[in-house]
Amino acid sequence: MVNYSKKESVATITLCREVSRNCINDQVAGEFNDIRGEIQRDKDIRVVIITAEGQDVFCAGTDTQAALAFEDRAKLLELFSVAAIIDTFTCPVFAAINGAALGQGLELALACDLRICSQNATFAMPQVTCGEVPWDGGTQRLSRLVGRGKALEMVLLGESIDAQEALRIGLVHKVVPLGELMRTVQEMAHKIADQSPISLAYAKEAIHKGMDLTLDQGLRLEADLYYLIHTTRDRTEGITAFREKRKPQFEGK
Amino acid sequence: MTGFDTLLYEKQDGIAYVTLNRPQFLNAYNMQMRDDLAEVLKAIRDDDEVRVALFRGAGEKAFCAGADLKEFLTAPSPVVARQIRFDRDVWGLFLSVPQPLIAALHGYVLGSGIEMALCCDLRIASEDAHFGLPEVELGIIPAAGGTQTLPRTVGRGYALEMLLTGRWIDAGKAWQIKLVNRVVPKKQLRKTVKQMAARIAAHDPDVMRCAKQAVVQGLDLPLAAGLDLERILAARFGPGSIAQKA
Repeated sequence: MVNYSKKESVATITLCREVSRNCINDQVAGEFNDIRGEIQRDKDIRVVIITAEGQDVFCAGTDTQAALAFEDRAKLLELFSVAAIIDTFTCPVFAAINGAALGQGLELALACDLRICSQNATFAMPQVTCGEVPWDGGTQRLSRLVGRGKALEMVLLGESIDAQEALRIGLVHKVVPLGELMRTVQEMAHKIADQSPISLAYAKEAIHKGMDLTLDQGLRLEADLYYLIHTTRDRTEGITAFREKRKPQFEGK
Repeated sequence: MTGFDTLLYEKQDGIAYVTLNRPQFLNAYNMQMRDDLAEVLKAIRDDDEVRVALFRGAGEKAFCAGADLKEFLTAPSPVVARQIRFDRDVWGLFLSVPQPLIAALHGYVLGSGIEMALCCDLRIASEDAHFGLPEVELGIIPAAGGTQTLPRTVGRGYALEMLLTGRWIDAGKAWQIKLVNRVVPKKQLRKTVKQMAARIAAHDPDVMRCAKQAVVQGLDLPLAAGLDLERILAARFGPGSIAQKA
């Protein structure tokens, strides 16, 4: 249900349940978790791309039929969560959104660091229309990304927005024709993958953790990470290569 | 329809309508309106029949042009005024209402007017709306939450620009900086807002309260604590819950 491929230092995870609109059940989340383990053990991987099969749907949300089989609701949420898995990546994670990202599908995209979508993509938190609330981080990450007003509108009304509106409110960073989506994201991913993985991980940590701190504490975290990174070989390589006017070769050490 | 001196209050099909009703004074906020608003907000909060509340201004010219300056400097002392501010904490009450609140904004939306709108969850403006926090020009600062609610809605940069310059912005700019959710022609304002309220009223009211709580309370928490809050709420309304209830 979930495919994994690797090209150079970029890993791509693909949802392959097109017949079920790439909906998430415990098996999908389980396979996702296995792939996460594989990626984290592979020291060569520096960037992850998450995308889905097909021309219309990125992920239409939680597989409700599968959810009904669970009596234990806490267990269900634990076994179905994908955002919690994505959250553990220390490297940059892209969402290449090839169509509708609905409910948990949007929550999955929100757990990524960067979101690029195709022109046909649509976005919605329709859970309330079924008497449910978002549960895989949507009420928290959407508001932090697009602001309280827009988040409340999407969560309370459950209506969908198109790619251009998603771009305007900062939900996605770039909109491209569907045929160019993967090439665009791969180009960006490979460009990022040339940087030092420690720099990328620390920059990501400083921003994510810093958002939860007071400014004073955030500045402190940034400075601590900055001085820590001066102990790495990559830092020496970066500065040496700059002086020698050549491309640096980072090894993540 | 229940009449207060400064407000009209109606309830229909699960929607509460609160109309600021001092059109001859551009619906300026005064002490009587403060007390009336406190009554109405408590009534909304305690009334399970109200699924969503809608705030609007009477007359053609303004939603609310700010505080009524005639009453300025009439308190016995700043100490007493401050005591009253927190004893009758109408703004804290506004922000604690569990149901979704919608503001329909037209004409002048200034000072306390924009602050009232910022206590609501969704803001819809007509094309003629103008927004501003003119307090600094009067040598004072906003005191109905504006210094806190505005940056949390539009971000630090735009909030400081509006607060420090006192300059007004029009509806288009307000939409651009996400101060309002939508801008519609003036003739369509009432209808648009009513439709939006009706859609919210059609959903399970407990789900609406949970969703609002998760977003609003969650934004005041670190992400991890916000995610915990969401999980707790989702234990009731998570995937498949409605089908399970049936």
